[in-house]
Amino acid sequence: MLHCVWLTTTLALASAAALGQSDGTAHHDIVIKNAIVMTVTHGNIANGSIYIKDGKIAAVGETVNAPATATVIDAGGKYLTPGIVDSHSHIALDDDVNEATSPITPHMMMKDAFDYQDKAIYRALAGGVTTSLLLHGSANMIGGQAVVIKHKYGATRDEMLFPNAPRSIKFASGENPKRVYGSRDQLPSTRMGNFAVQRQALVEAQDYMREWDSYNDKVKRGDKDASPPKRDLKLEALADVLRGKIMVQIHIYRSDEMLTEIAMAKEFGYKIRAFHHALEAYKVADQLAENNIAIATFADWWGYKQEAWDAIPWNATMSMRKGVRVAIKSDSEDYTRRLNQEAAKAIRYGGATEEEALKMITLNPAWIVGVDDRVGSIDVGKDADLVIWNGYPLSSYGVPEKVLIDGDVYFDRSQPGLGTTHYKEGE
Amino acid sequence: MTRPNNPVWSGHSCPLLLTFILALAFSTPALAQEKPIALRGGKLLTVTHGVIENGVIVMRGGKIAAVGPASSVNVPSGAQVIDATGMTIYPGLIDSETQLGLTEISAEEMTNDLVEMSDEIMPHMHTAEAFHAESALIPVARMNGITNAVVAPESADTLPGQDSFIQLAGANATEMLLIRDNAMPLNFTGDQRRNKGGFGARKFPSTRMGLAAQLRQAFLDAQDYKMKWADFERKKADAAQNKDKDKDKNRDKEKDKDKDKDKDKDKKSEPLPPKRDLKLEALLPYLEGKKTIVLAAEGPSDLQTAVSLANEFKLKFVLNHISHSQPVLDYVASLKVPVIVGPIYEAPKEDERYDAVYSLPAQLYKRGVKIVFASYSAHNVRNLPDQAGFATAFGLPYDEALKAITINAAEVWGVADQLGSLDVGKTANVVVANGDPLDVKTDVKQVFIAGREVPMTDRQVRLRDEYSKK
Repeated sequence: MLHCVWLTTTLALASAAALGQSDGTAHHDIVIKNAIVMTVTHGNIANGSIYIKDGKIAAVGETVNAPATATVIDAGGKYLTPGIVDSHSHIALDDDVNEATSPITPHMMMKDAFDYQDKAIYRALAGGVTTSLLLHGSANMIGGQAVVIKHKYGATRDEMLFPNAPRSIKFASGENPKRVYGSRDQLPSTRMGNFAVQRQALVEAQDYMREWDSYNDKVKRGDKDASPPKRDLKLEALADVLRGKIMVQIHIYRSDEMLTEIAMAKEFGYKIRAFHHALEAYKVADQLAENNIAIATFADWWGYKQEAWDAIPWNATMSMRKGVRVAIKSDSEDYTRRLNQEAAKAIRYGGATEEEALKMITLNPAWIVGVDDRVGSIDVGKDADLVIWNGYPLSSYGVPEKVLIDGDVYFDRSQPGLGTTHYKEGE
Repeated sequence: MTRPNNPVWSGHSCPLLLTFILALAFSTPALAQEKPIALRGGKLLTVTHGVIENGVIVMRGGKIAAVGPASSVNVPSGAQVIDATGMTIYPGLIDSETQLGLTEISAEEMTNDLVEMSDEIMPHMHTAEAFHAESALIPVARMNGITNAVVAPESADTLPGQDSFIQLAGANATEMLLIRDNAMPLNFTGDQRRNKGGFGARKFPSTRMGLAAQLRQAFLDAQDYKMKWADFERKKADAAQNKDKDKDKNRDKEKDKDKDKDKDKDKKSEPLPPKRDLKLEALLPYLEGKKTIVLAAEGPSDLQTAVSLANEFKLKFVLNHISHSQPVLDYVASLKVPVIVGPIYEAPKEDERYDAVYSLPAQLYKRGVKIVFASYSAHNVRNLPDQAGFATAFGLPYDEALKAITINAAEVWGVADQLGSLDVGKTANVVVANGDPLDVKTDVKQVFIAGREVPMTDRQVRLRDEYSKK
């Protein structure tokens, strides 16, 4: 038996209530002092402080003006970073990742599968992750629409949804769709099949969009006889892609396919927000930079399939130096718990600076998700999603001591289980 | 401080190094160190006798010839002296479970030789016979200082076959396979049940009790097989003795006897050998306690079942994984066997704390258990030291973390006289890095295997360089 005595659930819950997270509204003013503040956007502040008001960062600097009533957290000279953003995750979906019954499923909403009680959310939080993009899987050329969550484990489902996050859709390419459908003797079973299926869907969406545009025009002109076309959820979603209302996130490995996807986006007039995995981005980084396409990549995964054979651990830094926005993501319930170590590999492979490496798990993924104006750095006005680390975060050794989201403590290493009951009482 | 040579790791544009790489690319490297090499000025992590700042290590004839402070080590004349100022030098790392040489591209079946699935009992499979020395994965792993590894079959069978202990450089597989059949996994994690289906299951075994019974029968059969052979050997010896006696007798009677009759008699007394059974034969060294069983279980119940099975046949074993056995760590300690722990990245069970697996190495160490780490991987072997470093964030002392991928592993695999520390007389597997070996940021600059500079390149470096030109 374990001999350690852990704090009981009751005590942990009491602390949660004291910090005002349980009702989701009564934010207390907080000052975090005596921290090495890694802002990501404007350098490090040694012995810095942050004033948090109403869940937002109200001030940051060597000293901050805050009311005397504010709760003070002494960081004890430790490192403080923005919360980590994981721009490619499939946790909390209870295995409902792929609606692999058709290669075109843009009307799938990941929000409908979101399992807000999944403990993976808490475990990622314990690794410093505060925001995740939960994506559809890669079985389909056009998968479903993502949901953006904040890791407020223990809160209600709706409190965990990132408020007003932009919409994203998952596209895929390469081996996965061709394997899934090819193994059933269906289209697509080749890369040309993949792209034909994608183009066909987009062509239908163009027609659908035209029908609706023409109807809306008629209504605008006061045509009372105008009758609306039949709504089709699938085409409606794709029409929104064509209208630029949904950001396109593409699962992709090979550089040739990246060029084809870029051409396809131009053919239909939409923009690609990011290539995900993108293990061969270093081969076409110039073209990615030109088209303002980010990448969400692994630090050093390789060789697990043919299209991952040319992966190199310098992909992140080589692409970054060509002007590509680079994020390191997990795509894994495991790696999402230690993305800080994964980002640190960019220092080792290609000599990224500390700030560049940190940006790969904060501001850059926030941009990919479309929430970089609200999270991803320690700047006034941004959400107070913050991590206090026990040691240097860009190393094998740094692990979070406290994680705050919107100014509330959701993880505290001295009281694991804060706001939750997922560990055995008195164990 | 004079600097006799530029460090070979000063950059990949170094012409000397380039020549070296090209030379290697066009010739089969025979692994003999040509002239002594001395690394001077680095920080030596000896593992067995502390840290030596500003140390010198001399490698000669593939062995470590001297280790000590710069002030006290004599560098032999004619040695290549390399300035290692600012570098950290440590013994080659040992990964206690990998699939190196058994896979190339995970999803491409024809590149995989990981495990035979036709039966759960396959002790006659020898990873040494599938080991692909030219695998592109091996240079990738050794570039980060992993110089030795256990190659194990995948864990889908109860007895999937026998491990090999390899060195990650050599002219060919024969040279790299330091020990064939050094150990054998016995897996009892529940994952070996592949005919599950309750009432619908059609093929034995489909349950844990089925797997256990099958395993027990295999060891009983092996005992029986051993007896049959012993019986045969005894009869053969008797027959030989009788024959000698007969010969003596016959010498006198030779003239009177009919030779043909005698021949017939001899034939009758010659015992027939039992039919050879490779499966049962393979189990014998383990039944006799001559070799180590690597006993894998995850949770407390499987662990105790597996241990009682092993004890039933008096097997010599080390434990593997035990990732979810936190409630019985005192029991684990009472077994007084080493544990290959983890991977610590294994997700906790539903009712386990978020750090239950992360802290397992520290919890075991506190109880006096010898621990070693493994990557349990092929492509990610290079990340072995990161795991050891991460375990320190959850309470494992730093020195113990380093030992778990060096000397402890060497001891578990019976090679501590040759590997696992910077000690005179050991194989010169030496790593030069720009910092702490357990930190994820640390860049390994040069690896020596048996005293030879390993070319610091691999498929990935070549791709990097090719695309950096553009």
